[in-house]
Order: sequence, then structure tokens, then C-alpha cells
Amino acid sequence: MTPIIKADGLTKAFGSHIAVDHLSFAVEEGEVFGLLGPNGAGKTTTIRMLSCLIAPSEGGATVASYNIAENPLEVRQTVGILTENPSLYERLSAQENMDFFAEAYNLLEPEKKASRIRELLEFFDLWERRNDKVATFSKGMKQKLAIARALVHKPPILFLDEPTAGLDPESAKEVRDLMEMLSRREKHTILLCTHRLEDAERLCNRVMIINKGRSIVVGTPNELQNLIAGKPTVRINLQNLDSKIVETTKRLHHVARVDVDESASSLTLVLDDVRLGTPEVVKSIVNAGGLVLAVYVVRPSLEEAYLQIVREERK
Amino acid sequence: MRVEKAVLVFKKDWIETRRNWQVILPIIVVPLMISVFLPVVLGLIPSFAVSQGSGLNGFETLIRNLPSHVQEQLSGMTETQVMIYVMAIYFFAPFFLIIPLMASSVIASDSFAGEKERKTIEALLATPISDGELFFGKMLVSFIPSMIVTLVSFAIYTAVFDIIAYGLFNGMLLLPTLDWILMIVGLAPTVALASIGLTVMISAKVKGFREAQQISVVLLIPILALVFGQATGAIVFGPLVIVALIGLFGLVDFAVFRTGVKLFKREEILTKLA
Repeated sequence: MTPIIKADGLTKAFGSHIAVDHLSFAVEEGEVFGLLGPNGAGKTTTIRMLSCLIAPSEGGATVASYNIAENPLEVRQTVGILTENPSLYERLSAQENMDFFAEAYNLLEPEKKASRIRELLEFFDLWERRNDKVATFSKGMKQKLAIARALVHKPPILFLDEPTAGLDPESAKEVRDLMEMLSRREKHTILLCTHRLEDAERLCNRVMIINKGRSIVVGTPNELQNLIAGKPTVRINLQNLDSKIVETTKRLHHVARVDVDESASSLTLVLDDVRLGTPEVVKSIVNAGGLVLAVYVVRPSLEEAYLQIVREERK
Repeated sequence: MRVEKAVLVFKKDWIETRRNWQVILPIIVVPLMISVFLPVVLGLIPSFAVSQGSGLNGFETLIRNLPSHVQEQLSGMTETQVMIYVMAIYFFAPFFLIIPLMASSVIASDSFAGEKERKTIEALLATPISDGELFFGKMLVSFIPSMIVTLVSFAIYTAVFDIIAYGLFNGMLLLPTLDWILMIVGLAPTVALASIGLTVMISAKVKGFREAQQISVVLLIPILALVFGQATGAIVFGPLVIVALIGLFGLVDFAVFRTGVKLFKREEILTKLA
């Protein structure tokens, strides 16, 4: 399958400072791909190059088969972008902002434009406030409107730069929920720049950790966690531990190894996929007559994995 | 270039501008004051000067350089009439080249620099609107209001002056003349476009609105030179001079637009975000 986004040795230098250093990656259609990295890692510069806002110093990329150097207008038409700042016109109403960007992105037929804007404003719970000036909106509402703006022309590709940055936990969760719904409902290919690991863990199919403009590692969140901790381990405390339960768990598909601690009445299982394996193990223990007291996943979170990878890179 | 995209940028910016009274008030009030104030001064100063015995002192060079058919017209007039006529028709004419420049300078300075300051520029630059369309749209939002203000100011100036001069010139309506019409509908727009184009170019290059406005003040210098040239009689705005200037500024407009689009760099704008 041809990737919908393909970066090949993408490099950007500002004077002597190299912001992005020979970055190569590919994103498949429908995938949510996360760019993770500390501040100044080169995430925003990468998105700006891919959306033809700035030109690479070296290397190149294609977005929906369009070359970013040769077809900037086509690339911009194909992507929806949420910039670091909401970039909304505060003296205009939500409706006026949406009208402007819809027409800028060539959504010109009045009926189609009106229905798309209504659909988005209702989806983001902003329809009742559509005639209010954006200056009166809360930060969370502005962020939702900025995401709605990015979606107005139904772009197949979305670039989201720190979509939950600066939001209070409630608004951040709301935006995260909306992004999850969007990726499921509208099947967009999403390139998500973030340093919020919970966003990446929940939304991304794959992530790439970058630091000082260079790619450190690419993989699924699960693979990155495994990279640090080896295979994930689950400890299960039981009220009654017997050989039948042990034998049942050993035969399960996702279980690589089972260690038994009879004195603590617990099993420690090495799984190849903790998300798929854990429910399967618990279900089989219960079916075998076991009474489960507690289940612990013994592994680093994506955040711990990320921190360790970045720390090692800095060394 | 898709003109409808430039018009879209104009419409968006105009809605924003007309909701900002800090921008709108100086654009409207100052030119309107000038267009009422100048003809009132005309009604008072010449008679004051004559009563002081200064007569046509200071206007001799200007009068001497006027076309012969105008001088013939003046020969039948009193000193007061000559003074009012010369001031109204020739002396104040170049002021109406300053009005569109004054009216447009605030909006043109704000065009890109203001968007940088308000951090709205990145989403605008990310749209599939080309450099030429963006640049032209930003020029339109300064040009159209400034020309409306100029035309309205001219209409008021003409009306007030004709009312004041009606009795003094035995019921003759002196304005508008061919020179004035050429200047208002031909020279003022071409001069304004050149100045707006240069100011928008500056606005795209600098970090903020104030910086853009301070630099763009320099653009008034050539127009002030025309004002003083006319006042001292060095240049007289006859029809031929005006048509020549329209042609010259038309070429300047074209060159400014081409250069502005060529120098328009999205990357440079983004890296200069305030």
C-alpha cells in the first residue's frame, strides 16, 4: 500500500541551527500517527514543512501523492491543519470564521457549505454560540472551533499540532474524546504532534519519538513500551490458586510464560500483548473456577518508556 | 490569479476592520474634517490677506506657471476672486492625494503585521490561497475604503466650496473641473495603490503593526514633494501633467505588485511571528 504521507530525509536548518535533521517516515491511510518529542524537538517545523508553510532545506515529502515542493496549493487543499495557536479571528463570529475558511478551502456551493458548517458546529457543541464573536469564547471552545475549521473542507489528512496544549483537564479530555470520535467516524489520516503521552497512548496507531530534529524510534505505543520493559508482565492475585488454573493459563495464545507464587497465591504472566492478553487470562481463570482478587500490569507506561528513550538519547 | 479569492480576503478583513473603531475613526474623521475645513479657510483667508494688503504675494509664481487659458480667465477677476480660485483649484488639489494615503496607511500597515501580532496568520497562510491572491486581497482592503473616503471627501469639498464661492463668483460653480476629476478618479487611485502595495510589502516583512506604520510614513515624502511643488509653482497640475502622472504611477503600481508577490515569503512571515 502506498503511504498517504511520505517524508524522505526531510531537513530544515535555520542558519546554523538544524531544527529537523533528515527525518524519514511514512504514514498509511487512515492511520493516527503521533510525533512525540520534547519542546524544540522539531515537531511543529515538520508539520509546517508538510503543509507547505516553510520549505525544507534538504530532502522532500509527498502528501496524498502531491510533492510539497511542486504542488503547494494542492497539498494545502488536501490537508486540514490545527496550528499551535487556534489562529481564529476574534472580531468575527464562529459562523463568520467558518464561512471564510470554507470558501478559502474551495467549499463554495452555499448549501453544501452551510450544511457542513452546521454539522461541525453541532458536533462540537458550538451551534448555539455561532453568532457570538470568538473573543467571547473560552480556550476550550476556541480549540474546538479551530478543529472544526480544520475539518470544514473534509480533508483526508489532518495535521494537529498540540491539540490539548494549554487546556484544563476537562477541556483536554473533551478534545481528546472528540479526536477519537473523529478518527473513528470520519476515518481521517491524522498526524498528531504532542508531548502529552496520554493523547498519544489513547489515539495513535503508531508514534515516532523525535529529539533535536532526529527520529529516535518508531513503533506502536505497545512496541515502545515493550522496547523498555521487554514483554509486558501481568500479576494476578487469587483467593484460590490450583494446578487447573495454572495449566489453563499456560495454554492461552498470548501467554509466553507463567510463574507461580503459591505462598502469595499469585500468578505472574509474561504476555506478548497486554491489551489483548489480560482480559483473555482473567476470563479463563474465572472459567476455571478461580476467584480473582486483583490484576496488576507490571510494565512502564508510554510516558515512562518515552522519558527513558529521550533520556538515553540525551546521554 | 483567482480574483474571487482576493475578494474573500478583502471581505474577511473588512468585517474585522469595520468592527474596530480605533481604525475606522481616524480614517473617516480626519479626511472629512479636511474636506470641510479647507473650503472654509478659503472663504476667510483671502479676504483677510487682501485687507492686510498682502494681496497675491506668494502666489505669483503659481499664477505665472498656470496655463495661458487659465490666466486669461483670471484676468477678469478681482484679487480676492483670483486668490480663492487659485487656492481652491490648484493650491489644495494635491491635498487630495494625501487623503487616500492617510486613510489606507493604518489598514495596510495592519495587513500582515496585525495578523502576526494577533497570531492568526498561520491558519491564513495554510489555506490554498496563492501568494498573489493574498497580497491582492490585502491591498484591496486598504484601497477600497480609502478611495470611498477620498470620493466622499471630494464631494463634500466641492459642495462646501461651491456654496461659499457661489456669491463671490456671481453664481458660477467652479468645482469640479477636468483637472480635479482626473486627479480624483485617475491619479489618486494610482498613487494610493503604489503606496498601499509598498506598505503591505513592509507589513509582511516586519514583526508588528507599529513598525510597519512608522516605516510607511516615508512613503508620504514624494506626495508632500508634489504638494510643495504645486504650492511654490514648480509643478502645476494641468490635465497633461495629471495624465502623465497617472501613466507613471500605473507603471509603478504594476512593478510594486509584481515585486510584492515575488518578495512574499510565507516562511519569512512565520519566522517573524511576534
